[in-house]
Amino acid sequence: MNNWLNHQLQAIKLVLSRMRANLLSSFMICLVVGVAMCLPSLFYVGVDNLSKLTDHMQNETEISLFLKLDASRDTISEIDRLLAKNSAIKQYHLVTKDEAWQQLQAKSKSNPDVNDAVNQLGKNPLPDAFFIQAKSVEPDDLVVLKTSLQRIPGVEQALLNTDWAKRLSTIISLSKKLIFFIAALLAIVLLVIIGNTVRMQILTQQDEIKVSYLIGATNSFIRTPFLYAGVFYGLFGGLFAVLMILGITLTFNYAIADLSSLYNSDFSLTIFNGSLFLTVISTAVLIGWLGSYLAVTRAIASIIQLQKNH
Amino acid sequence: MIKFDQVTKRYPGSDEILKNVSLHIEAGEFVFVTGHSGAGKSTLLKLIAATERPTSGTVLIANQNVSQLNASAIPFLRRRFGLIFQDHKLLYDRNCFENVILPLRINGVSGNEAAKRVRAALDKVGLLHKEKAMPITLSGGEQQRLAIARAVVSRPSILIADEPTGNLDASYAADIMAIFYAFNQVGVTVIMATHDALGMSATQNRVLHLDQGQLTQSSPSITGINQTAFNSDVSTS
Repeated sequence: MNNWLNHQLQAIKLVLSRMRANLLSSFMICLVVGVAMCLPSLFYVGVDNLSKLTDHMQNETEISLFLKLDASRDTISEIDRLLAKNSAIKQYHLVTKDEAWQQLQAKSKSNPDVNDAVNQLGKNPLPDAFFIQAKSVEPDDLVVLKTSLQRIPGVEQALLNTDWAKRLSTIISLSKKLIFFIAALLAIVLLVIIGNTVRMQILTQQDEIKVSYLIGATNSFIRTPFLYAGVFYGLFGGLFAVLMILGITLTFNYAIADLSSLYNSDFSLTIFNGSLFLTVISTAVLIGWLGSYLAVTRAIASIIQLQKNH
Repeated sequence: MIKFDQVTKRYPGSDEILKNVSLHIEAGEFVFVTGHSGAGKSTLLKLIAATERPTSGTVLIANQNVSQLNASAIPFLRRRFGLIFQDHKLLYDRNCFENVILPLRINGVSGNEAAKRVRAALDKVGLLHKEKAMPITLSGGEQQRLAIARAVVSRPSILIADEPTGNLDASYAADIMAIFYAFNQVGVTVIMATHDALGMSATQNRVLHLDQGQLTQSSPSITGINQTAFNSDVSTS
């Protein structure tokens, strides 16, 4: 056991010193792994955040009922009565045109452009509105409710906001499938790149491998350093990928925060996604190991064959 | 220690390199293998070192039948041998110290213990002052001595040398031979292939002469037996 541990430590030391000796090329390979891991991950981050946003929207089963601009107090109380009677409605509240006007003015204060525009209006252009929470969350039920509400006299328009969110979520589930295939293709590319790199290393160390076999090295003794090389390419590449994802999401987050403040939302990208980072690194390590395992198995078999023929 | 019984070796697509070779080498012996090039000397050594398996017949090394040995057991068998090649097979990308430490790494010896043994081995062949030198800067004789240091660093009980003096001039060759005799004196079995005239010293040792793959003991067999007896006396005393 101690001997085994010793062997592993020696192999790790050897690999790290070899990587240090060829610092630039090792860096390049890790960078390639990093970029290849980063691409699908970024795509995933984008789609994942979008899907969180649409999930959030789809759960909002709110129907906005805008009344006609000239709706009188009697009309409003008549509609209020109808809504109270409707068994499909969980709760609702009225925002009068004056309240809405005040809210708009208060919110637009922080943004000078909008504030100017609002002030120039002079007169209140907003209608009275009911915001209705339905009991059901089923899209079909909501549509039925929306149509029935639309027919109430004095109602200008009933709006159900989930339609486009539904479409978006379909596109997102499609994109998730696409990500899977992109990731799979890039994994194959990485396997080939790491495998080839390890194969080149084996070729440059062919003499050592041959001599080692002659003086009693076991297969695992020969193989271990190369397996660690693959694992380290994966590990460092995965770390590069995580750094890149962090940097890029951070940059985007400023832009998105600006954008979502315009939509009066505090939505922002999740910056530290621990499980994603763990997945990226462990996948990269696994690919590195597998790539070098395939390469080393093939290369060593051919070296042994070569030795037999001489 | 090493026993060949009716051993024949043939490579795919070639004639028989060794034909019906039977021999027995005792622990502590110093044995020469002679013959023209192509007589099968190297093949004989490869069979002893378990880098080749016989086509037919049995090779017993320390009572283990090489033909029946599991592939995973072969590396451990090889660690009993110190191998020295005519072309040294040194690694030219690292210094002398790093060359000699390789078998210890394979055996799982590391740290101070390994460094101590590497220096002891380099000292025995007179290269202690060159431990940091790269092998390419050494002369042919020094390179061969470095190869010997690498072969003995893991303290094998058997040294197998394939024409170690083949490329060296007489004075270097004498140095190398002296080193082998010194190891033999402390009980190491030495098996050496050579194609050139053996020199004076050789006559004292058993000689296995190969002629077109067949073993003909060229030195009188009585001498061989005496030598065996003499050597076993030394090793037991």
